Amino acid sequence: MFEPKIVAFLCSWCSYTGADTAGIARLKSPANLRAIRVPCSGRVSPELIMRTFDQGADGVLVLGCHIGECHYDTGNHRAAKRLPVLQTLLSFGGLEAQRLRLDWVSASEGERFARITTEFSETVRELGPVHWRPEGRPRQEESRDLPIPSRTILFQEVDFTLRTEGIRAKARELLTSGQVGCLIGYGTSPRGRTRPAFIYSSEESDRLVWNADCTHNLSGYLVDKLAANQRGHPNENGSHLRIGVVVKPCDSRTINVLLAENQLSREQIHVIGVTCEGMRKEGGGLQQGCVSCQERTPVVYDTLVGEPVHPVRQCSSSQSDEIIAELDKARPAERLEFWLSQFDHCIRCYACRQACPLCNCPTCLYERDDSTYVGMGIGLNEKRTFHLGRAYHLAGRCVGCNECERACPMDIPISLLNQKLAVEIEKTFGYRSGLAVAPSPIVTILSGEYKEG
Amino acid sequence: MSKPDPNAKSRLISQTELDSWLDGLASKQTLIAPRDVSGVVLYRPVAGSGEILAGVPRPVMSVKELFFPPTERLLRIQKTRTGINVKETLPEDQTIIFGVRPCDARGVRLLDALFLDTAPADPYYARRRANTTLIGLACRELGPTCFCTSVGGAPDDPTGMDMLVYPAGSGFLAEAISEKGHALLADTGWPETVIGGAAPDSTDHFPVPEKGRWLGHFNDDYWMKMSERCLSCRACAYVCPTCRCFSVRDEMLGPGEFERIRCWDSCAGENYRRVAGGHRPRAEKGERLRNRFYCKFLYFPGQIGRSDASACTGCGRCIEVCPVGVDITEVLQDLERLA
Repeated sequence: MFEPKIVAFLCSWCSYTGADTAGIARLKSPANLRAIRVPCSGRVSPELIMRTFDQGADGVLVLGCHIGECHYDTGNHRAAKRLPVLQTLLSFGGLEAQRLRLDWVSASEGERFARITTEFSETVRELGPVHWRPEGRPRQEESRDLPIPSRTILFQEVDFTLRTEGIRAKARELLTSGQVGCLIGYGTSPRGRTRPAFIYSSEESDRLVWNADCTHNLSGYLVDKLAANQRGHPNENGSHLRIGVVVKPCDSRTINVLLAENQLSREQIHVIGVTCEGMRKEGGGLQQGCVSCQERTPVVYDTLVGEPVHPVRQCSSSQSDEIIAELDKARPAERLEFWLSQFDHCIRCYACRQACPLCNCPTCLYERDDSTYVGMGIGLNEKRTFHLGRAYHLAGRCVGCNECERACPMDIPISLLNQKLAVEIEKTFGYRSGLAVAPSPIVTILSGEYKEG
Repeated sequence: MSKPDPNAKSRLISQTELDSWLDGLASKQTLIAPRDVSGVVLYRPVAGSGEILAGVPRPVMSVKELFFPPTERLLRIQKTRTGINVKETLPEDQTIIFGVRPCDARGVRLLDALFLDTAPADPYYARRRANTTLIGLACRELGPTCFCTSVGGAPDDPTGMDMLVYPAGSGFLAEAISEKGHALLADTGWPETVIGGAAPDSTDHFPVPEKGRWLGHFNDDYWMKMSERCLSCRACAYVCPTCRCFSVRDEMLGPGEFERIRCWDSCAGENYRRVAGGHRPRAEKGERLRNRFYCKFLYFPGQIGRSDASACTGCGRCIEVCPVGVDITEVLQDLERLA
């Protein structure tokens, strides 16, 4: 009979003692449980759980104190918020959701411990051995290519002259008066491609453009640029010059997230918001991310260029909504195959991470010198760990600007992961990131969020 | 530049003949050709000519990945009761690659300069080179970012190929370049002709600055300015047919079992030149991006002792994939103009 390998992370204060209680009471609990004692269920980071599945666990059980009884007040609240998000992500990636379970066991509840562990062990036994590791998984005879609808939403040509003029005029004003030291906007390459441009003097302002290819999210440059500014010499007033940035509505949401995460402060930047009807993708048609975008006017700005428009949704459901629905309907094994076939051609160039304005850790967890959470190799398993981990780190933060997907040289639909989590978080927390300067609810604990008992 | 000899004997074949010949090859050994992999064109094994994409487009990744794979296991290390067991893992497969573009084959020659011609030769790379036959395909037209003619290549350059196929009218001209190629062609029995294929001409010519210009402008502010938009990702290096930096690490496989892997690395990454103590000699992204161009046009020619051989094949892939429009041809032109 198949004996599942189950790893149980047990909170030292409640569940681990609960396991002892079960033992003293001579209650029967499954022998295939490998218990790992942790200080708190809040310590069990999603990376740890992903690593456990990577290493071949058939099931992972996390047991903590009941809500309201945490030794550290809110540690288990963190677990309660994080793990369902992780479960959604792993399930979307092709792991059966039942293989991960979070529950509460107090020190006196030996019986409850025995019941939950037996139940979980039986559930995993019924699921059979895990096929999470790419190598050695059974060939999916009936696995089908998930249909990716190829639909192009027409891009409507707009006259951009007024907006280009507006941006240039404001840039001239800001740079001449010395209100900003540098303005980050869009320019054109000698090949005629639209790309980020850094403007330092009013004479250069005419290099700025606004057109249908201003896809880049320029707010990603702000954090580094401000840090470099701080290292430079202050001006005669002893302060550092501000930085101006041109943003679309989606980019403006990024600024709110950066502000909420204290990556920059409002006085350091001058935001030129530009109204937007959506950007064009290479080869025509509306950009993937723009199809379901509702914002037409930036949510934060100092100067607005263009007439504010009421929010309109171009299309009731975007192509990515349809793919997500299709994936949700598929069996876990099919989802697994879908994602492995996509990650297969990832080259781990980190373009997605580098282009992401919210991936701003000084050292990425997945690029450390030790191989604690992921190996250095450019193999299928490592690439999946990186992508799923990155998606998790952006849960509740991602604003859906789609820079990751646009930057990907291999056209991997990475943003589906982010979108899936954004929908989940909106459902659970009623929260959409970046609409206001507020930290993501999945990383914060507010007083009164959970009632005792 | 070694132009094909106009009097060389080539063989005229039709599309059907080429297809059935490729099917024959695929039945005997691994045939790799441009294939559609979930919407992306890549060099991947094909079962027959039917799987090769129509028009044999140029893949997103160069053939580099087939000789110098993104990740390669060098050793398997096992702890035994009496000591340590180390096993080298050398590639064994016999492979034919069809549809290699001249820029890619040239890239392979440049990789040879470091992996094969410089002692000690790299055994993994050497084994793959020896086991692989390259069948090239001359370009019918130049792509929007191609500039091979500016860096010493040509759309019909046979450098590095074993055999080259030129599109000619509705058919193809096949010409053997190396001994491997001659052996392959001899078996076919295709009739010999002496008509050469005509290569498209490039209109874009970019200057390649002299060594002195590179040396003289190393400390210019230009590099910090031009790199401001750079994201420090590695897309340009990984799609490049000649970027060849790697990193080696021992990874644990299980209790008492390890593997030593080698995988791609790039000077664009922030960790690339970090040394013990945390010092980073190339802390600024301008310094890192500058290195990419200096490596291609100054360091590499210096390393192999040939001033005419830049490590750029003009394939234009880096220009295509850069998410923020960094353009190597723009840098060449700018450097030529700098005071």
